[in-house]
Amino acid sequence: MKVIYVWILLMVLTAATLSLNYFNVSPILIFVFFSVKFLLVSFQFMELNKAHVFWKASIVMFVSIINSIILLI
Amino acid sequence: MQTFHKAKTAKIQTDNKSIFYPPGGILIWIIIFVELMTFSFALIAMAVLSKSNTELFHSSRQLLSTVYGTINTIVLLTSGYFMATAVQQFKKDDFRNSSRHVLFTIFFGLAFIAIKTIEYSHKLSAGIDLDYNLFFTFYWLLTGFHLLHVVLGLVILTAFYISMKKKTPTLKTEDMEAGATFWHMCDLIWLLIFPVIYLLF
Repeated sequence: MKVIYVWILLMVLTAATLSLNYFNVSPILIFVFFSVKFLLVSFQFMELNKAHVFWKASIVMFVSIINSIILLI
Repeated sequence: MQTFHKAKTAKIQTDNKSIFYPPGGILIWIIIFVELMTFSFALIAMAVLSKSNTELFHSSRQLLSTVYGTINTIVLLTSGYFMATAVQQFKKDDFRNSSRHVLFTIFFGLAFIAIKTIEYSHKLSAGIDLDYNLFFTFYWLLTGFHLLHVVLGLVILTAFYISMKKKTPTLKTEDMEAGATFWHMCDLIWLLIFPVIYLLF
C-alpha cells in the first residue's frame, strides 16, 4: 500500500476517533480505531510487513493484549 | 558506487525476512518493545487506580483539551508519513528528495513540541502541576517522557539531515532505517497514550 493512502486512512481514523468521543460512543470502538492506526504505522510506515512472521505476530499480540487489559479493567 | 549501494540495499531487504533482521535492526525493535511495555504498564496502573478514584479521574480528564491531543496526533502521524517517504527515497539513492522529506519530518516534530509547550503552559498557569492530583501525575510523567523521546528523535533526524547534505553522503541504509524506526516509535507511543489519557476516563 502506498504510504500516502496509509496517511489518508490515519487522518480519517483520527478524525473519527475525535467525533466518537464527542458523541460518547463506547470506548471499545475508540480502541478498535487505535489498534488499526497502531498496526498501520507498524506494518506500513515501519515496514514490518517485510519482516519475519515472529515480529508481525509480536506486535499484533501486543496490541490485542493491551487493548483487552485496559478495556477489561 | 551506486551499484554497490543498490546491491547492499537489496541484500538488507532480503535479510528483513530473517527473524534476526527486522527493518531497522533487531536492537531497535527490542528497544521498541521494552519502551511500549514500559508505557503500557504505566497506562494499566493508571486504569487500575482510576477504579478507586472514578470521579477524580473523570473531572481531571475534562480539564484536558482533546483538540490539542488530536492536533498533536495529526502532526505526529504526518511527520511519520514524511519519514517513511524519506526512507523510500533514500533506498532509491534519491538523497536530495530524501533530505527534503527529513526536513519536513523535523518541521512537524518541532510543531508537536510547540503545541505541547502551549498545552503545558496552559496547565501550569492554571496551577496544574505534577503534584496536582494522581491523574495529572500520570499525565505529566507519561507525556513528558514521550516528549523526551521526540526531542531525542529530532536530534537523530538533524544528524541525518546534516549527513545527507554532504557532497558524498556517509549515511548507511541500516542507520537511516534504524533512525526512522525510532521516530515511528514516538508515533506508536503517542497512539498508545492518547486514547487512555485524553479519551478514556
